[in-house]
Amino acid sequence: MAALESGSPGSQSPQRSARTGTHSTNGTLLGISLQLAWRNLWRNKKRSLIMLAAISLGAWAMIFMPSLMRGMLNDSLQRSFDALPGQVQAHQKNYRLDSSIESSFLVPGAEQQALLSEAPVTHWVARIKLPAVLNSERESRAVQLIGLNYQRETQLDLKLVAGHWPADNSEMGLVIGSKLAERLETGLGKRVVLMSQGADGELAERGFRIVALYRSELGAGDERVIYLGLDAAQRFLKMPGKISELAFWGGADADSVADKHSETALLNYVRSVLDKQLEVLPWYELDPYLASMMGMLDAMIVIWILVVFIAMGFGLANTLLMAIFERVRELGLMIALGMPRAMVLVQLLLESLFMLMIGLAVGNALALLCVFAFRDGIDLSAFADAMAMAGVGSRLYPNLQFTDVALANVTVLVLGLATSLLPAWRASHYDPVQALSKD
Amino acid sequence: MDIGVFSVCARRFFLRAFLYVSVFYSNGILADTRDGQAASVNAAEPDARELIQKSMDLWRGKTSYSEVSMTIHRPDWQRSMSMQAWTEGEKNSLVRVSAPARDAGNASLIKDRDMWSFAPKINRVIKVPSSMMAQSWMGSDFSNKDISRNTDIINLYDHSLAGQSNQDGHLVYEIHSVPHEAAAVVWGKEVLFIRDDYVLLEQQYWDQDGKLVKTMKTIDFMQADGRTIAKTMRMNKSDDKNSWTQIENTKVQFDIELSSSTFTLSNLRNPRL
Repeated sequence: MAALESGSPGSQSPQRSARTGTHSTNGTLLGISLQLAWRNLWRNKKRSLIMLAAISLGAWAMIFMPSLMRGMLNDSLQRSFDALPGQVQAHQKNYRLDSSIESSFLVPGAEQQALLSEAPVTHWVARIKLPAVLNSERESRAVQLIGLNYQRETQLDLKLVAGHWPADNSEMGLVIGSKLAERLETGLGKRVVLMSQGADGELAERGFRIVALYRSELGAGDERVIYLGLDAAQRFLKMPGKISELAFWGGADADSVADKHSETALLNYVRSVLDKQLEVLPWYELDPYLASMMGMLDAMIVIWILVVFIAMGFGLANTLLMAIFERVRELGLMIALGMPRAMVLVQLLLESLFMLMIGLAVGNALALLCVFAFRDGIDLSAFADAMAMAGVGSRLYPNLQFTDVALANVTVLVLGLATSLLPAWRASHYDPVQALSKD
Repeated sequence: MDIGVFSVCARRFFLRAFLYVSVFYSNGILADTRDGQAASVNAAEPDARELIQKSMDLWRGKTSYSEVSMTIHRPDWQRSMSMQAWTEGEKNSLVRVSAPARDAGNASLIKDRDMWSFAPKINRVIKVPSSMMAQSWMGSDFSNKDISRNTDIINLYDHSLAGQSNQDGHLVYEIHSVPHEAAAVVWGKEVLFIRDDYVLLEQQYWDQDGKLVKTMKTIDFMQADGRTIAKTMRMNKSDDKNSWTQIENTKVQFDIELSSSTFTLSNLRNPRL
């Protein structure tokens, strides 16, 4: 760039055309403006480079941070999917408001079961999912009791760290998280007391042996969710044949969260088969937190980009103002020599545009590089506990979306030019006599 | 979520405290026939379950009125509460808080497995739903369930006589009670020391690893209606000597005449006693 300024061969011709160009077409004028803008940009290298660094960093932050935010949300979605296996789930209407035993319903009858074994359903399970309290000798914790059919829950991905899954679903043995066991100061093979509300409205309580301990990467679930065989849970809660949740799988990629709309067909089919009183929803709408997070993230990203831009915009306007104040005489001379005021404006805007474009190019490259560098995830295990609390795993995978990149670039360009408009407009309206008399 | 749970442990510990206040009353009732009983007890080793069962049985069908103060002590604070309690048999009881003024008037009525509570501040009687039975009773460390159950100790455990010793001229039986597999009891075992006049001297709660978790001890005795009963009992966690709860009987009367309206909802709301 320095070469360009200090007289590369090409620098001759535009100057020549500048001499004659005042009377020729606007196209030539634009060429001159481009040339002047570019050269002006590098007259004060230090200042321009600092501004470029600011724009680049801003652009980087505008692109890379949203990719992390998206990555975090994707992670939460994946985890939520893992924790609530089933692409489509059915509950009693009130269940999501009040997940009590009153919101349970009967297992589908034989006729419905036959229909549920047809495409597009590939697999389905029934579960009990109710709040309970687990007591040990020293502690007591509120937990979520899940009664499930161990044989059919093929999607449930839990790592047992001790013990074995109960052999059949009527075994009165609990599977609890190892963290929960720690909190309760109990362990494998010990007896704990489980309390919940029974179907008769009375308090159901009973001693259970802990037959296995599991560990999940997601600390919160580890501490809250306990598992019991479906038959055992029905017996304990005095709700034979009743369940609180049905989960369905169907279609191609059951593990993918990429295309959340792939289960529409499954959803419609299940709705047509099941009782109309049941509420059938895709999994991502079940978790109200996630559903609202998904809606909120786009807005959050726009706000983030604007905040970064405001910080950057002041710097940009300031830089341009400085550049203009230093050149009052020069600008006055240009106007005096017959340069149309509009072209002065254009030239200054072009200067700003060049700066923005170079900054954006560097910023985009930096962000892409970062995303590429962290394609295997960012190890956050040092903060694993805090991350688990937020429902995120210890590895964060950036997720770059084209719309975010486009949004950041367009925002910076459009708003950046808008910010430059005021100083440029002022410069183009100098009175040449006054301007030339300035020192 | 954990704030609500408040340590059911502590509650259970109060449950036992509460339960055994009652058992001690029954011991007082026993006093009439103590000499005869003691003789037969000495002759043959009594059955452990019977030792507990008998005192519970004798307590049933009788009425009582008591004034009790409960003190909860923690390293950095202490709080006391005074209550009046009426009982009839095993199934009916009415408890009314008399001090501190902030809580005075709060009352609970228990009939069998049902429970109602009354709070004068809102002037409402509320049926305590089973889902709330595990929650705190009147803001204390008792859970609603704790104070509405009382015969668990007999039916949910296997009892065995582990030994006897002499203390202050009394024969003291040591009973080991191991909960049934499916019982809703968290302890590995409980150890009870019962004097030959059926006063419980000490109750120990052991975890499933054979470690002592907490102990309830009778600190002193009192005379009520000419009988000896425990006056003050203190529950102490074995790993924290600075936290304890003490229950003290300030006045106890047995076999009093209770109006048939004592254990009714209207009496719960408008005390006539």
